[in-house]
Amino acid sequence: MKESWSMVVTYFSDVVLVFVLTFHLLLQSPLTGKALDETLSFANATGNLVYYKIVFGLLLLTAVVHGLNGVRVIALEWLHPKTMGWLLNLTVVALMAFFLSLGTYTLIVVG
Amino acid sequence: MKEARRYKSGLIPSLNPLGFNVERWSYTLHRATGVILIGYLAAHIFETFQLGAGSAAWANTMAALHSLGPFEMVGLWVVAGSALYHGANGIRLILNEMFGKLMGKPILPVYPYSPTSLGRNQRVAVWTITGTVLALWVWAGFYLLAGLGIV
Amino acid sequence: MDKLTLKVTRTDGGHVSYGLRYRKGMTVLDALTEIREKLDSTLGYRHSCRMGICGSCGMTIDGIPRLACQTQISSLNKDTISVEPLHNMTVVKDLVVDISAFFRLHASMKPYLIRKDIEERDHSEREYRVLPEEVSKFLQFDYCIMCSLCYAACPTAALDPMYTGPQAITQAYRYIADPRDEGWKQRIDLLDSSHGVWRCHAAGACSFVCPKDVDPAKAIQMARMEVLKRQLLRRGGRAGAQLVPPPSPGAAKQGAKPPPFDMGQGSVKNQ
Repeated sequence: MKESWSMVVTYFSDVVLVFVLTFHLLLQSPLTGKALDETLSFANATGNLVYYKIVFGLLLLTAVVHGLNGVRVIALEWLHPKTMGWLLNLTVVALMAFFLSLGTYTLIVVG
Repeated sequence: MKEARRYKSGLIPSLNPLGFNVERWSYTLHRATGVILIGYLAAHIFETFQLGAGSAAWANTMAALHSLGPFEMVGLWVVAGSALYHGANGIRLILNEMFGKLMGKPILPVYPYSPTSLGRNQRVAVWTITGTVLALWVWAGFYLLAGLGIV
Repeated sequence: MDKLTLKVTRTDGGHVSYGLRYRKGMTVLDALTEIREKLDSTLGYRHSCRMGICGSCGMTIDGIPRLACQTQISSLNKDTISVEPLHNMTVVKDLVVDISAFFRLHASMKPYLIRKDIEERDHSEREYRVLPEEVSKFLQFDYCIMCSLCYAACPTAALDPMYTGPQAITQAYRYIADPRDEGWKQRIDLLDSSHGVWRCHAAGACSFVCPKDVDPAKAIQMARMEVLKRQLLRRGGRAGAQLVPPPSPGAAKQGAKPPPFDMGQGSVKNQ
């Protein structure tokens, strides 16, 4: 895969992430009329996850893809592997799969 | 044969923006906030995983976080600031890198030189982002740190 | 300011301070030359034209890569000035760095016109047609003097020695934007690689230090958009500029005779 494709994915995930993350932060903010302790309660947290499942799913996907691609870029620049670049890419993809599966499991179980 | 060492290269020099333009400072801040956010993301995914384990597990997780004392809210405040800056600056970078905006057009250089890529449009964008992020961060600070008696 | 101290980094990494008398209009290069002539003949540094056109005297002055011949001491507003070798390159001696890696990166981008018809390019009897508005799209990037200040300032180049670098990418774009060039395919693999155009993060330090206002940051973003357009949208393929056609055979007979050669008033003939 050409590097341009991974950068386009990064750019698009960033744009989507800004919107869904803003939504997530607004749900935890005083604009909802709830105190911080109440927003972090089990009932409120699970209620949000159930009610806004698609938004949180999108948040999980874009945050993991964007964040771990950033880690890949930093590792690529810092380590600059000559022949083992494929190993770095594989590690990042594996980490993406791990975090996506953890988050998806949470969404399914809570939902 | 071992590669000769390059003078003042590496991670720390790459992050050192002293004496350079404001966009170079933005680069360092963008990178630092990105690293903070990815660390927080990993921890946050593990934390919310406890929601699936039931209310008792969630209560234990919250108790463990509260045991950090003031560092819990200060840490959240730092993460909030990081998210605000990284997101806003990221939009500016997308405008620069994907659409070529704020960079200006090729010109015929005339002394005294002033690169259009670091011109007025770019500066306005950088300082608008910085000002907005600072304002929102201070507001977030009042909300998050209120319980600590700091504000 | 009467007294001036230059704190110079030597080959072993240590710093040696030299005290000089400031003269109006003194540049850092003047100061280094005075040190070598009067104080320490072992001091090593590169210089040539002393007028900001050759790019030889690049060094790190007070933490910023600059041309020593173009840096007035008075503009730094300090009594003690630190002078180090350029960053991101290996030191040969004192302030002299090995720029062969920089030139290798430049050469890797094939910084010359590439035409499909080599015979036409090398042995044409006519020039290629290029309009002024087409030239204006890349002329700025042609002013590069290859001083390597941009490479020394680049944070990605500091971290990644395999990064192509702002100068090489700028020159690649200079030729891509040239309507005479047909060599996109020869440059794309390096541009769209893991250490190519996508490793730039728009820090702008390259444009900040460029002594010729080549604005590499702008060129890199323009190269990036070209890559996106051609690689992902599959747009932009074009034939290169064509040769100017010869005048039609009857034109010389049909047109008026050229006016007699007029040497004008004040010419040698009229005196």
